[in-house]
Amino acid sequence: MSALAERPGVRRPRERRRSPWRRLPAAPLSLAAGAAAWELIGHLADVSFFPPLSTVLARLADITSEGMILGSLGGSLINLAAGFAISLVAGLAIGVAMGRYRKVEAALGIYVYALLTAPSLVFAPIFFSLLGAGRGSIIAVVVMYAMFVIVINTASAIQSVPAHLVEMARSYGAGEGRILLRVMLPAALPMIMAGVRLGVGRAVTGMINGEMFIAVVGLGHVVTEAGGRFDSAEVLAVLLVVIAVALSAVGLVQAVDRRVTRWVPKTTRGH
Amino acid sequence: MSTVTRHRGPRCASGFRGPRRASGFRAGPQPEQRPAPLRRLVNAAPLYQFLTFAVFAVGWELYARTRGGLLIPTFAETVQATAGLLGTAELWRAMYASNQALVLGFAIAVVAGVPAGIVLGRFRTLERFADVYLNILLVTPMAAIIPLLVMSVGFGLASRVILVAIFSIVMVVVNSRAGVRQVDPSLIEMARSFGATERQIWTRILLPGALPAIMTGIRLGLGRAVTGMVIVELLMVSTALGGLILEYRGLFKAPELYGTIVIILAEALLLISVARWSERKLTRWARPNPARSA
Amino acid sequence: MIEIRGLSKTFVGQDGDTVHALRDVDLDVAENEFLTVLGPSGCGKTTLLKAIAGLIPWNDGDILIDGTPVRGPGPDRGMVFQNFALLPWATVLDNVAFGLKMRGVGRSEREERARSLIALVGLSGFETKRPGELSGGMQQRVGIARALAVQPRVLLMDEPFGAVDEQTRRLLQEELLTIWEKRRMTVVFITHSMEEAVLLGDRVVLMSARPGRIAEIVPVPLRRPRSSDVGALERSGQYVEITAYLWDRLREMHEEQRPAEVAG
Repeated sequence: MSALAERPGVRRPRERRRSPWRRLPAAPLSLAAGAAAWELIGHLADVSFFPPLSTVLARLADITSEGMILGSLGGSLINLAAGFAISLVAGLAIGVAMGRYRKVEAALGIYVYALLTAPSLVFAPIFFSLLGAGRGSIIAVVVMYAMFVIVINTASAIQSVPAHLVEMARSYGAGEGRILLRVMLPAALPMIMAGVRLGVGRAVTGMINGEMFIAVVGLGHVVTEAGGRFDSAEVLAVLLVVIAVALSAVGLVQAVDRRVTRWVPKTTRGH
Repeated sequence: MSTVTRHRGPRCASGFRGPRRASGFRAGPQPEQRPAPLRRLVNAAPLYQFLTFAVFAVGWELYARTRGGLLIPTFAETVQATAGLLGTAELWRAMYASNQALVLGFAIAVVAGVPAGIVLGRFRTLERFADVYLNILLVTPMAAIIPLLVMSVGFGLASRVILVAIFSIVMVVVNSRAGVRQVDPSLIEMARSFGATERQIWTRILLPGALPAIMTGIRLGLGRAVTGMVIVELLMVSTALGGLILEYRGLFKAPELYGTIVIILAEALLLISVARWSERKLTRWARPNPARSA
Repeated sequence: MIEIRGLSKTFVGQDGDTVHALRDVDLDVAENEFLTVLGPSGCGKTTLLKAIAGLIPWNDGDILIDGTPVRGPGPDRGMVFQNFALLPWATVLDNVAFGLKMRGVGRSEREERARSLIALVGLSGFETKRPGELSGGMQQRVGIARALAVQPRVLLMDEPFGAVDEQTRRLLQEELLTIWEKRRMTVVFITHSMEEAVLLGDRVVLMSARPGRIAEIVPVPLRRPRSSDVGALERSGQYVEITAYLWDRLREMHEEQRPAEVAG
């Protein structure tokens, strides 16, 4: 990387100069600058669809004290948790089966891949007709968003377990079940977790989109309603909450990831 | 946070062409083998793919016949309706309207996103400050800003174009950035040792080296653009294909409702396949080559 | 030909300490000399080579080539890289012609010269292949041809055969000797193999680590040309004696280094 940063030609300074920017914590500064710009532009532009940050925060405080945010947040989190749990269990099971058995992969691979790349929300009307305008449909949308990336990553993780590890276990007399549980799953775990991390991000998206389409509960419902009332401050306030939910969900999975894949050498992690 | 983007990167989802493990192997005398043509048929992927589809279709048909409701057509009805829809002017008008937004929005995303990603990949300081926003954008459900778009630019083409662009640009930026960043630094050093100028390093090393990842970003971005197109039409601006779905739902025309969904899915998959095919054509050298390890 | 005077280079390590990659290095390389540089890992031998190539800045001292101070990469030097550094998207022909292209040599002349060098390194018929289709040994032949194509007066080689298997390595060593005997030029060759250093070099520069400095310069009085009978050379008393001496010195260095290795 340093070669990328270095200019051609020989510099001959006594001490290599380091940019003063490098010492600053980038993320908080950048966020603070963004917040200030938002506030400023909001005031200067003075348009209904882009209120300044302070207005949005005030609105957020209002709807929180009214109890609306917490109620919707709870509803959303139930959708998210249920959908994600189903995606995780089913995704791992299908992924392991696809990674282990060539015939399962032959049978399912192309469809899983197609569903991964297809726009998942077009299935919402189908779930609507099957499950009605309720929580079940929203959870199904979440599963549609989150499951396939977990399947694909798990399958390829299992497939890329080094053959020599499996041969080693077999040479010590391990049976198929034990090889799967003690060798293949642990070896595949880092890559599986990468899929799970992507899955949780997509689950949050699925949650909001599903709730916006089948607007009965949750934060997505609030967004749709506020949008209908042209209440931009409330839309943005809920958007902030949604971002917080998304970041914490991903953060949670990352924390779990770090705990369970502690054996992976730091250099290959890319953190 | 950076790991979120890392695994979205180039080869995240194309995994199942990975190396084959040797665990199916059994020691000892080999069992008698089936005659070659039969074995080939039994092992062929298309056969299994077809079986899966057949099971799915039969299951659907049975479910719809026995338990079906007002909005659940049978498989046969859906096939019929899909074929019928393809002959109507209404569908093609909706198709044209949807794809107008798709083409414009996606073009904006590529034209703006590739240079932005390259700049971020090359200038680390800038990237450090932009990183937090890219990570937020990657996990934020963009659909939530649709109400704001409608408030600012109305229900017309503009809001759909903007949403499609917003949906796809993040993928394009993140992958272009990764592409520039993952160019082997020793290639840059090599070029400099032969007296390459900064401009030559860009045109001869950085851009060709980043091309595979940029192409991946464009393909993933296209997928997201289609998603954005569908979402905006379904959630807020009920026109074009999404509007058609909502209309058929309202009229309880179940086969047409399902048929429209099938057509949208077919279009999405077709576009993505074309993107994938051209990506492979353009970046043949970047494919893992077995000879490399020899 | 090459004069290095008081060359020092420090950089700041990951934990913030100053690391002396090179300290007070003085070295003269004669015209058409084959100089090999040997030392434990981390002794700064690659840093030294990159400084001569003009690829990295340094803190103190001078590097002169024919009396002209080095200010950056120049057409008088060609470099061969340990990891080959071939453009994976370009053909063998385009890779070999890369340096010429950077120098603005016209297409027809570029390709003609590239083809003759591809023939020299024994890769005729592979012009349109890409690096991914070649073995490691063949890839490094491309790297050598690319460096020779610009007709450098100094060939800088950074552990060029470190990434290929033992048999290929021996073949490449013999071929490099053959080429060098045909077209004499100044070569600075970095290696971590004692045998390679003695087999190829007129002199072996022995470097020590932390700080990187020249510990000793060992002359290799083996007769030239050496390419015709490498086997007999390796059984000669002189060869065995010099490699044994180098090993003794390297082992001493490792023993001095050991506490530092534990600490670091």
